[in-house]
Amino acid sequence: MPSILRLVLPHGLLLAATVLLYAVASRIASNVGAGRIGPDAWPKAILVLMGALCAWEIVRRLATRPRGAAGADPGEGNDAGPPLHPGKLAAGVGLVVGYVVVVPWMGFFAATAVFLAAFPWFGGTRRPALTAALGLAGSLALVVIFMRVAYISLPLGTGPFRELSLALLGLIGVS
Amino acid sequence: MDVLPLLATGFGHLFTPVNLAVLAAGLVLGMLVAVLPGLTLVMGVVLALPFTYKMGVAPALILLTAMYVSGTYGGAITAILFRIPGEPMDVPLIWDGYEMARKGEAALALGWSLVAALVGGLVSAVVMVLLAKPVAGLALAFSTPEFFAIVFFGLASVVTLSQGSLANALISLCLGLLIATVGVDEVYGAERFTFGQPFLQDGVEFLLVMVGAYGIGEVLTRMGTGFAAEGGEAGSGAARFRTAFPSLSSILGMKATFARGTATGIVVGIVPGAGATVSAFVAYGIESQYGKNRAALGSGAAEGIVAAKSAATASVGGALVPLLAMGIPGSGATAIILAAFLLHGIQPGPQVFVANPDLVYTVFATVFAGVIGMCILGYFAIRPLCKVLEAPEAIVSAFVVVFCFVGAFAARNNLSDLNVIAAFGVLGFLFERYGFPIAPLVLGTILGPLAETNFMTTMVSFDNDWTVFFTRPISGGILALAFAGLAWPLAKAVLQRIRASRSAHGQPG
Repeated sequence: MPSILRLVLPHGLLLAATVLLYAVASRIASNVGAGRIGPDAWPKAILVLMGALCAWEIVRRLATRPRGAAGADPGEGNDAGPPLHPGKLAAGVGLVVGYVVVVPWMGFFAATAVFLAAFPWFGGTRRPALTAALGLAGSLALVVIFMRVAYISLPLGTGPFRELSLALLGLIGVS
Repeated sequence: MDVLPLLATGFGHLFTPVNLAVLAAGLVLGMLVAVLPGLTLVMGVVLALPFTYKMGVAPALILLTAMYVSGTYGGAITAILFRIPGEPMDVPLIWDGYEMARKGEAALALGWSLVAALVGGLVSAVVMVLLAKPVAGLALAFSTPEFFAIVFFGLASVVTLSQGSLANALISLCLGLLIATVGVDEVYGAERFTFGQPFLQDGVEFLLVMVGAYGIGEVLTRMGTGFAAEGGEAGSGAARFRTAFPSLSSILGMKATFARGTATGIVVGIVPGAGATVSAFVAYGIESQYGKNRAALGSGAAEGIVAAKSAATASVGGALVPLLAMGIPGSGATAIILAAFLLHGIQPGPQVFVANPDLVYTVFATVFAGVIGMCILGYFAIRPLCKVLEAPEAIVSAFVVVFCFVGAFAARNNLSDLNVIAAFGVLGFLFERYGFPIAPLVLGTILGPLAETNFMTTMVSFDNDWTVFFTRPISGGILALAFAGLAWPLAKAVLQRIRASRSAHGQPG
């Protein structure tokens, strides 16, 4: 990605989102009489401030970037953190998003067992027996804590996963 | 002076086997819900309320009050050790407590937190007992401009405190305030930014933003940069994670910070709706602007822990004053305690001091005993929690993610909230990556509705006359402090530039 684009990308995206949201805010329906501020006033004021700040930051970054250093990324030093492992990051995001997607289908117990086994594995704990045992035992313990002790109703899943969840709940005495 | 005999009577009611058992249960439960990321104190008190239906009124109030007291401490442990605030009030503890932990001073950070909670809690309990009616009378003078000014001060403080770019901190705050506007607005009932999604009509819970951006975001950041080796950092440092109390001389050396934090907690706690979160942020803001060691705040200074924690715990006594004296809850948790009173046919207010003084002073006694019990429990609860740090970071992080999801899900039993928390997790990671502080985002989401409601109500009540915020002495004074805090970093930068320019011109050559 060209360095200049990378330099202004976060604020550019935020500015674009601000403009779009301002358009949405302009369509907020209200029956407020003339001379009174309506429900759109507060979000619009925030959006104006946010847009101005983004624009200011873009201009400031462009104006203060060092010139003449081809390929150098002046913003990187300030914004970027320690080096990333893209594979691990992708696995982490994938597992978190995947967990959210499969919980309604697999139910809390099964989805959590898989998650608790897979997450450490991708995180670097390459001990299959440990992660598998951790997944099962950890998930079971969490089911007991949340569903039997704290009475939190967690997703049971569908089809065979629902049967599994119900059988487990029967086993630990949750009717 | 009939306070002492009445308080003794209150302790007499508390120190029965059943009530003591209820007190202990309340303290443990409050600590648990506050420690678990995502399960908030208010949620815990709400979950406990149904269990009080069949209790007597005194045990019911003891249980809920004990949960309220001990819930103000538990989240400090996860904030300091894991950078996951159990409660919004614990966010300021991340800035200094977690930084101290990273420097290998976790035990001392926890010790400071415990001492601050003890001092703040006990002093506020004394104030609560002595000044209940007069202070409640003062709070009656507060109107929406004053509420708005206090919230604005809290928001300005967190922006001022943020590391790095002031513009990025303000953008983060704006985004948080904007997220808080999603759903049906409280003043006009108009739908905003729902995009036709039914689950957005109820708004975006601050809990989802807080747990997602801090909890999930932090886990993703750690995963992306590589977890610590198994048994490495955490395991080898296990000995560091004990509670180490600061020396008496260092405590006395920080007496002004204790006084400021505790006084702020009591005063802000009395203000209805403000509660422990605003207390902690305002106290931290005051410390950052007027404290002796203000320059070090945010980089692992004990003053930051003391200010925020003493204020948060002191707010308990403050919040109970308007509840008991006027029937107005000062916080979310006291609103549930009010419900417990009403469920048992008792209306808190001036009359309750006449009709049920035993009950009132039993609640007061519970606060005293609860603060001490909370500290004892907090001291011993740290040890088992520290054991968790000995586990491989990847495994601990997996459990953190699940706790975050369950805590967020349990608030509304809504599966859509899981998508929201995952989205804010990714946003938290991106914020961290690109130098946007997360704290203003979270605080904007928490305090946004309070700020907007008080702003809009003021504008409607005073015919769109915005000058009222500045012409009323209390709100004007607070706003002046907030603006001064916001302007100070800019003024300082300009002054430094002028000095540098002068010294450059003054040099020969």
